[in-house]
Amino acid sequence: MSRLDCEQALAHLQDYLKQELTPELVAEVRVHLEECRDCTGYARFEESFVLMLEIRAGRETCPKELRARIMAALRAEARGS
Amino acid sequence: MAEPSAPGRSFDQEALPHLDTLYRVALRLTADPTLAEDLVQDTMLKAYRSWRQYQPGTNARGWLLTILRNTFINDYRRRKHEPVAMDLEAVEPHALYRSLQETDPEGTFFSQIVDAKVLEAIDALPTEFREVLALSDIEGMPYGEIAEALKIPVGTVKSRLFRARRQLQTKLYAHAVEMGYIKPRETAP
Repeated sequence: MSRLDCEQALAHLQDYLKQELTPELVAEVRVHLEECRDCTGYARFEESFVLMLEIRAGRETCPKELRARIMAALRAEARGS
Repeated sequence: MAEPSAPGRSFDQEALPHLDTLYRVALRLTADPTLAEDLVQDTMLKAYRSWRQYQPGTNARGWLLTILRNTFINDYRRRKHEPVAMDLEAVEPHALYRSLQETDPEGTFFSQIVDAKVLEAIDALPTEFREVLALSDIEGMPYGEIAEALKIPVGTVKSRLFRARRQLQTKLYAHAVEMGYIKPRETAP
């Protein structure tokens, strides 16, 4: 296993946090984060930013009226109107 | 190969569960609740009419998002002024974090910004950034599924996501400084 410096670790960070890295790279990034307070701090910052986005923008659901309107339009379509 | 499925029961089962996702993505693309509703309804009708082209067992969410996105680009986008991308090529990934490291390493100032401002900042991103950010960070979709839905390479998804996040963070930081939630950094990055 190769040792990553900060630049290399940061280059993988986005993919690491999205869980899109190979197990080998995950292990390498993890080792670097365990040893580097700087990069760990930045990783936490990114993580809380993404979580904030999910909380702020991910709660909205399709309004009931819209759902009903779509269902009605689909039924009308199915009847061939 | 299996017979293409007829619309009806299978459409209801496969497509309707994704209405919330479609609505949220439509909200971010159009930045307008009324347009978002129209876009979702148009998308569902188009999907229903072309349901025979859908391969059963494949990713219905991605298939629907492709229709939604194409409908938006073709019929909705030109109604709205298109925001321009900031030039962030030279910005290092952690430039903002660097300047917050001493004062607010956890980025707690984000939590002081009201929901409406966060959404407004997302909606002011260029479409290419906004759609990737919505699918990745709001819907939690993996790169591969986003690439498939938007018909772009995975590498493009990654770089757009990176730039979208930087641009959004920069905007929210500027807003937080303006509102006095956080002290401005002494030196520009």
